[in-house]
Amino acid sequence: MTRLEQKFKETRAEGRIAFMPFLVAGDPDLETSVSIAKTIASPADLLEIGFPYSDPLADGPTIQAADIRALGAGMDTDHVFTYIKKVRESTDVPITVLVYANIVYQKGIERFYTEAKAAGVDGVLIPDVPVEEIEPFAQAAAKAGIDPIFLVAHTTTPERLKKILRYAKGYLYVVSVLGVTGARASLSADMPKLLKRIRRQTDLPLAVGFGISKREHIALLEKQGADGAIVGSALVKTITDNLSNKKRLLQNISAQVKQLTGAD
Amino acid sequence: MDKKGYFGEFGGQFVPETLMSALEELERAYGKFSRDKKCRAELARHLHEFAGRPTPLYFAERLTKKAGGAKIYLKREDLTHTGAHKINNAVGQVLLARFMGKSRIIAETGAGQHGVATATVAAKFGLECVVYMGEVDMERQKPNVLRMKLLGAEVVPVSSGSKTLKDAINEALRDWITNINTTHYLLGSVLGPYPYPQMIRNFQKVIGEEARRDILKREKRPPDYLVACVGGGSNAIGLFYPFLKDKKVQMIGVEAGGLGIASGKHAARFAGGRVGILHGTKSFVLQDKFGQIKETHSVSAGLDYPSVGPEHSFLREIGRAEYVSVTDKQALEAFSLLCETEGIIPALESSHAVAYGYALAKRLPKNKIVVINLSGRGDKDLETVTRAQSL
Repeated sequence: MTRLEQKFKETRAEGRIAFMPFLVAGDPDLETSVSIAKTIASPADLLEIGFPYSDPLADGPTIQAADIRALGAGMDTDHVFTYIKKVRESTDVPITVLVYANIVYQKGIERFYTEAKAAGVDGVLIPDVPVEEIEPFAQAAAKAGIDPIFLVAHTTTPERLKKILRYAKGYLYVVSVLGVTGARASLSADMPKLLKRIRRQTDLPLAVGFGISKREHIALLEKQGADGAIVGSALVKTITDNLSNKKRLLQNISAQVKQLTGAD
Repeated sequence: MDKKGYFGEFGGQFVPETLMSALEELERAYGKFSRDKKCRAELARHLHEFAGRPTPLYFAERLTKKAGGAKIYLKREDLTHTGAHKINNAVGQVLLARFMGKSRIIAETGAGQHGVATATVAAKFGLECVVYMGEVDMERQKPNVLRMKLLGAEVVPVSSGSKTLKDAINEALRDWITNINTTHYLLGSVLGPYPYPQMIRNFQKVIGEEARRDILKREKRPPDYLVACVGGGSNAIGLFYPFLKDKKVQMIGVEAGGLGIASGKHAARFAGGRVGILHGTKSFVLQDKFGQIKETHSVSAGLDYPSVGPEHSFLREIGRAEYVSVTDKQALEAFSLLCETEGIIPALESSHAVAYGYALAKRLPKNKIVVINLSGRGDKDLETVTRAQSL
């Protein structure tokens, strides 16, 4: 059983939603970013790690700024793998990465997945590779033993979902809103309908992301039958707000994560 | 046969899942639109009555004499309404947007010519219009920013990344992801995911169809060379495409050489790039070893872009077209040359084609024919040119 299967089996058995924080690797720098990941790894059920990219077209301003900080600190593909290895040394939670297509393509598709596996990655999501273009990536993923994670949106038709399900493993990343990443005040009212519609076609765990920023959002998603809640921009914003004081940054992130998981 | 949406290994649909249903809708609607006789007739009518087509194929007599070699013809896209070839695609796509029942149009723009064309057709058809433009480009193409505002468009400054065309496309895509139900993204060049490169080429091929018909009438034969500047490459593919079957016609795309290839400050994708994925398509891209996109430089905002239309990458790979570059300095010299010898003020983008076409004509014998695509007029560039000349 893969780490991902094991984790969702466990959270489902416990009847609770998985907490899945997202961080940009190397934001604001390699060392601090490793400390942040280690700080949140214990309440987290899964870590999502973003590769910083110059042109992240699915991301809003908060994560764009984090990408720029990480790139400015010298984070390239090799450094991100080093980062993941370091995080992996201290935790056994599943790690999935979010990475734009060109970064994978330039490393060499097969080589990217091989190196990701060696670093301790369990799943790879490429936001700008839809199912139409997934074949070479999916083949490399299968060969390396990595789960290909897919986005499913409000605009995904049942026919498209059927195609996606031919390849998808691990979990589905359900995009909660029409839009880019970024903290939002409230969840889409159509969420229950979307979750039900997807559930009719698959038993894969459904993790909801984009705009999730509060404990209430997570509680609501749990009620609506989601298997996981992904929190990204809200955490990255805490990093952005505490750049001048790393000790306070770690304290605040730790407090925020406790608050989000209801452990405070 | 190529995989759907591909030119050989180039092209594809590299966009987030949220956009895929919109691309499917666009593909279906465009298919219906292009097969519908009434739609085609309406497009032809607006191109004629509103955009001012056909444009002349002009024999540049004094420029030819000065070069002392091949005959030089200019395809006068600068004479269209709004002053550049961009209007051809804007008219086509706005009709398509209306056909799809969209009420809101968004666009990106570099030089501002596509933004102006989009704002123009949005005004004509009464649609809401938002144009994304990099802050650097807004500064160097001020007249076009004013024109867009006068036409009722909202111009949104983009301050991320290099603050140029690349970043304007990122912002337009983010807007589209957010407002997908009401909005049509009126992309301005033969870039982006399928079906955009194919569709926009088809809206632009009127340039080459007219040029081919006119040159056959005038010279009783196809030209020896076609020369066009290549940013995304829509004016170039528009000219080239109808000549692809004329095997002897040589096609040359001119990229922005900026301060010179060796300086690293340029936008010559074929000189300094390699195959990569940007803005939904696989093509040649200026990037670092790890795939981070590089910032580009050109005196002309419309050529200042790190990738190139996938069909150009394909034409180059199969050896059907050749791609060269011209520096800022050479383009500025050609700008003045055309002003002084022909009484035509060319856009700085088109000046790149003029620079190469003129140098080419110089070294060819008199019985050869060169057609240069004068893709746009240069009123928008007067400030940039004046500043460069005073240095």
